[in-house]
Amino acid sequence: MTLFRQFILRALLRDPRRSLATVAGVTLGVAVVLAIRLANTGSIRGFETALDVVAGKTSLEIVGAGVGVPDAQLADLGWLREYGLVSPVIARTARLRAPDGTEHPLQVLGVDVLRDRPFREYQLLEFAQGGREPSAQELLALLLDSRSVVLTERFASRHGIDLDGSVQLIIGDRVHDAVVRGLLLDEGPARVVDGQLALLDVAVAQLLFDRIGWLDRVEIQLFEAGAIDDAEQTIAARLPDGLRVQRPAQRGRQVEKMLAAFHFNLTALSYIALVVGLFLVYNTVAVSVISRRREIGTLRALGTTRRTVLGLFLGEAALLAAVGATVGLPTGWLLAQGAVRLTSTTVNALYITSAATVPPLTLVDVLLAFGVAMPLALAAAAIPALEGSRVTPIAAVRGADRLASQDDPRRSRRAALVAAAFFGLGGWLATLDPVGGLPLYGLAATLAVIGGAAALVPVLLALLRRVGRGVLVRWFKVEGMLAHANLSASIGRLTVSVAALVVSLAMLAAIAIMIGSFRETVTYWVGQTLRADLFVAAAGRGPAGPSPTISADAEQRVAAHPAVTAIDQFRTVDLPYGPDGDLIILGAGTFEVLLEHGGLLFKEPADGRAAMAKAVGADAVVVSEAFALKQGVSVEDTIELDTPQGARPFQVVAIYYDYSSDRGLVVMDRPTFARHYGTQRPGGLTVYLTPEADPETVREELLAALGPDHRLFINTNATLRAEVIRIFDATFAITYALEAIAIFVAIMGVATTLLTLVLERREELAMLRLVGAGRRQIRRMVVIEATMLGVLSQGLGLAVGVVLSLILIYVINVQSFGWTIQFSLPVWFLVRSTLLVAVATALAGLYPARVATSFGGEAAR
Amino acid sequence: MSALQARNLRKVYGRGETGVDAVRGVSVELTAGECVAVVGPSGCGKSTLLHLCGGMDRPTAGTVVVDGVALAGLGDDGLTRLRRERVGFVFQFFNLLPTLTLAENIALPLLLAGVSAGEAADRARACADRVGLAHRLHHYPSQVSGGELQRSAVARAVVHRPALLIADEPTGNLDTDNGRLVLDLLRTLNDDIGVAVLLATHDQAIAARADRILRMRDGLVVGPVDAETAPTATTPPEVGAL
Repeated sequence: MTLFRQFILRALLRDPRRSLATVAGVTLGVAVVLAIRLANTGSIRGFETALDVVAGKTSLEIVGAGVGVPDAQLADLGWLREYGLVSPVIARTARLRAPDGTEHPLQVLGVDVLRDRPFREYQLLEFAQGGREPSAQELLALLLDSRSVVLTERFASRHGIDLDGSVQLIIGDRVHDAVVRGLLLDEGPARVVDGQLALLDVAVAQLLFDRIGWLDRVEIQLFEAGAIDDAEQTIAARLPDGLRVQRPAQRGRQVEKMLAAFHFNLTALSYIALVVGLFLVYNTVAVSVISRRREIGTLRALGTTRRTVLGLFLGEAALLAAVGATVGLPTGWLLAQGAVRLTSTTVNALYITSAATVPPLTLVDVLLAFGVAMPLALAAAAIPALEGSRVTPIAAVRGADRLASQDDPRRSRRAALVAAAFFGLGGWLATLDPVGGLPLYGLAATLAVIGGAAALVPVLLALLRRVGRGVLVRWFKVEGMLAHANLSASIGRLTVSVAALVVSLAMLAAIAIMIGSFRETVTYWVGQTLRADLFVAAAGRGPAGPSPTISADAEQRVAAHPAVTAIDQFRTVDLPYGPDGDLIILGAGTFEVLLEHGGLLFKEPADGRAAMAKAVGADAVVVSEAFALKQGVSVEDTIELDTPQGARPFQVVAIYYDYSSDRGLVVMDRPTFARHYGTQRPGGLTVYLTPEADPETVREELLAALGPDHRLFINTNATLRAEVIRIFDATFAITYALEAIAIFVAIMGVATTLLTLVLERREELAMLRLVGAGRRQIRRMVVIEATMLGVLSQGLGLAVGVVLSLILIYVINVQSFGWTIQFSLPVWFLVRSTLLVAVATALAGLYPARVATSFGGEAAR
Repeated sequence: MSALQARNLRKVYGRGETGVDAVRGVSVELTAGECVAVVGPSGCGKSTLLHLCGGMDRPTAGTVVVDGVALAGLGDDGLTRLRRERVGFVFQFFNLLPTLTLAENIALPLLLAGVSAGEAADRARACADRVGLAHRLHHYPSQVSGGELQRSAVARAVVHRPALLIADEPTGNLDTDNGRLVLDLLRTLNDDIGVAVLLATHDQAIAARADRILRMRDGLVVGPVDAETAPTATTPPEVGAL
């Protein structure tokens, strides 16, 4: 320990810049992994806390097929009371306009207070002052009026809302005036959703949400909470067709599963930053060993064993990793705030509407940070630490232990063979099927390709040694010659750092190509499929969960506009599908309008429109590519969908391209939907205008006709396309952010590698100065070396990136999301990134270059 | 014109009470073609004196003029240019760049001075020929013997025709035969191209072949000794000093 303090700790403190750079690398790596983990957890947690609030003390719940539980069936479910207390519920989201004009999203719970009293705690402010909870009758009195709403104390005080004050609830396109009759105390359920909860009477909620005749679910609080398994089974057996019993947590699990692929891919990406960060540990220990060879030699001469030397340097790595992980924990939590912002657009746009928050750090996070960073850091440090332990006393003391590395074609051939084996393995892995819906083999294929790329690095450097000299001498004269000679002699030392940079740059290129291709594909798809002139949607419409509806009045006003020639009414509901209960989207559209005006891009059969025509009014559906791929469904297959009358068969007539959701869409004609699921108000309208009409003008006229009582979003074709691309770009912002961090860390790796080389060559550099090399020439030489490393890494990175992008596009993307993406090369992005990498690595060479000019005559003997 | 004029050189390492006087008021002058050996025990200030005279380090006090150029007025770039154009160095451990071939090592001062690659290669080849290394031009330092390494270092030190050659223990890492060969080479160049040689050595036999010998002790020159009267390698140094 004394030796560690004297030999390692003091050295680290003496060179704080290098120590800090390494700790920063590990910190960033750990922080990125944690941030993604916390952000992923946060996005689900946002949904689950809302779930908890709504669930209360509920043990089981009865849900219907897609559209809910018909009121009429409730009378037939009287036997449920044999098992426990029963409460019908409407659970939706709405927006509330406060007196100051601001609007805020709210979780709305519509309950029958007489039945719901035992399920949830209702601590009302006015009663709390009297030290008691309100009775059911008192609650009923509060909510009986159709204009009554109960908010939370926290929400009300934050937005300046008083008891008995007026607010407006915006539900679908309708604006309702309401009076705040009660304020829930800031505790229990009211607290967990940050106060964004409103309570309504169930009948009022049915009216406001256009759910007359329907309940979202019926909740059961069992008399015997311990007998939940038995109760679930017997209730399931007694339920009529079209109804299911499940635990409230089931919805959370469905959401988790829905997000699994998205989260899995983000997590995989985050680990790249960590791995690249750990290359810094390798570099730091390498610098330590190289710059202190003489000291090691002295220690060895004085009787220090190899094992002790090895322990010293491994201890250095462990210390750096421990500090990095410790600082990485709070940094990760802070980064998670940004990551949540970056991912919430995607999660909200494509999956669930929830207020994501970053959960606090737990012991699991601490264990993860140390459990990942420490072993990896020790593994990274093993090579240089072993090198240090092998320093012989005599060689180190003489300092004459660095010789020009010789060209060994056999080594290059061996490395090329290893690379070929890795690439072959990658190719084979890419052909394997996903595991549990996750592209595990696809990711293994990318790892194999990355391994192949790393194996190719010494081959590439050997190639540089053979052919690079002429170019460098021609361009950069004597500095080019020296840079070439230095790089050629340091292939062994450079391989790890260059490999790290190559991996980061290859991933960036792959992701850029994948995103570029995806963007091109989506742009084409949007151009082909978004044919309508106007798109009308109710306020607060989300991609999942119960969507708000458009009132008949609003629809009539839209249809009455003289420029409107056709309207496609569409409606979507979430529907569990298949043995695993995957939450798919069931859509209903007006097929005749779609056939005449729309532009669905069909994947199969060749004449998709003719096939779709057969589905008009029939028990037939068209399905999205994602649904077909994930559920293994082909054209002409028959699928079973849950309906309120029980499972019903539907024939699949066509598969179409869709990039709006990876959950999978099943679309049927509106009359077919009405036949099975009852008449439902549409959630959106696709409006076609006469050719001479100006969409923007019509939009303005429609908004004027709808007046302030209707809150509808009307997008023109152009604005909706722009919105699609905006969501697309927001979705991938986090991807670029993660990659930028990985590249930053990798470039720091290049800087420390060059520093290693400079320290190793201190005597040569001093000699160069003595024979007349100016500081500028030395600096130029080191910067040329840095730039060469950057350009070489980018060259190999681009080539490997193209291969990786093919795996991302044709394997991982298809297995994760079920989308076909047309390959397209974002040439300008790649050119720009190449220039950026060259400049960044040149800048990374400046500090080592400065160090290189500092060696004087004392280094030469 | 003198190749080297150093007057009252003083060099203190460190400051205040902990400062160490490495050189304490030494003067030395070399004319073109002259060879002066500096002898003395380890730590007497030989190497420091050579560093000061070659523009590798700056004196705490005193002046150095190399080939008519006063070093005191030169900045870092000026000193670099001076070393590149007027000074050559040979060291005990050869200090060739391991990553360059012998030809490239020899040509290096010319290339650094901006001489075209073709001309530098020609002159390096001629110089290598002169030191008997024409057959080793494309070898790396790791592929040749110690004697050949030092001859390459000598070739590199004179390829740009310097006025002054600084040689710090040039034979210290060589066997007797190779040491003699290198010294012969230095003397030949000394005579042929008129380069002044200031060499530090422990070896009295080497010193004996210089035109003059400066004996140093504790940072001071304790007296010039004519080469003719200097002790030979077979005479114990203590006797020669008397």
